[in-house]
Amino acid sequence: MTLIFGGSGSGKSGYAERYISEISRDSIKYYLATMQVLDGEGQKKVEKHRIQRSGKGFFTIEQPVQIEEAIEKMKRLEQIEQMEQTEHGHGAVKRAVLLECISNLAANEMFFKDTVKDGKEVAEKIISGIQKLQKSVKQLVIVSNNVFEDGISYDETTMEYIRTMGRINERLAQMAELVIEVVVGIPVIIKEKRS
Amino acid sequence: MKLVIGGYAQGKLQMVLRSIKNPNPVVFDGQLPGGEKRQETEKHQDVIINHFHLWVKERLLQNGNPEKEMLSYLAENKNCIIISDEIGNGIIPMDAFEREYRERTGRILVQLAEQADEVVRVICGIGQKIK
Repeated sequence: MTLIFGGSGSGKSGYAERYISEISRDSIKYYLATMQVLDGEGQKKVEKHRIQRSGKGFFTIEQPVQIEEAIEKMKRLEQIEQMEQTEHGHGAVKRAVLLECISNLAANEMFFKDTVKDGKEVAEKIISGIQKLQKSVKQLVIVSNNVFEDGISYDETTMEYIRTMGRINERLAQMAELVIEVVVGIPVIIKEKRS
Repeated sequence: MKLVIGGYAQGKLQMVLRSIKNPNPVVFDGQLPGGEKRQETEKHQDVIINHFHLWVKERLLQNGNPEKEMLSYLAENKNCIIISDEIGNGIIPMDAFEREYRERTGRILVQLAEQADEVVRVICGIGQKIK
């Protein structure tokens, strides 16, 4: 698993897409989109990401909450597309998954249907969903956000969201073999576990 | 062109001033050298554009096109040092203009980094060369 981390406009999405394309040439590529489109600006952002991905051969799955449900969706899609391969061990399909991004997933889980859920529970739920996802794919690349350094004291709910993001990032970084921070489009390696 | 980035109050300008030999560099604050000033700077070797992100903000407020203006400046001035805050490492602002400013500044810095001969990130006054 690889964790790619960066701020807004840091070029992390573009980098993550190039990165997964390079490491997964023989796999089926999935893009798990977590963003809920609520307005024109969101629509524009989704379009921009779609254009960035075009020609790179991703299947897009919209999964704003319950990230583990993407596993069933991938299986169904493969049945429809008849991509079941038997030559790669145990009849399994090699999947490369790009999950973008944790900040949307965490916000969608935490602020679901006008209620605010407990941050610790949200973090646990997301981590357990990602662990299930990790077991069913060959390559997992997760994009997460640096929401920590603007120095502003927000209301308690937002602070709880920031803490939750911190908890999730910490766990993901422990699980990942490779953690990369993207700074002005340049990858900076934070953790690299040599196997 | 050299790009220097880092968080607020990280000692970016001081680090740049320490790293150059010229005792009298020209420092532009939140603006690109334009018109007469541009000619004036041609005499000097070291042109530093500090608080580049504030220039981007100002151009957006004036309905300018910072992406285009920056590229045309760089086409003629390849030997400058551009210093900018990293402003994207926080919570997405409620205000639409603040969101646009953050996003576009980030994109412009990615573009600048692609063109730069060197990119340095400053943390606690210490520069790390990342390109």
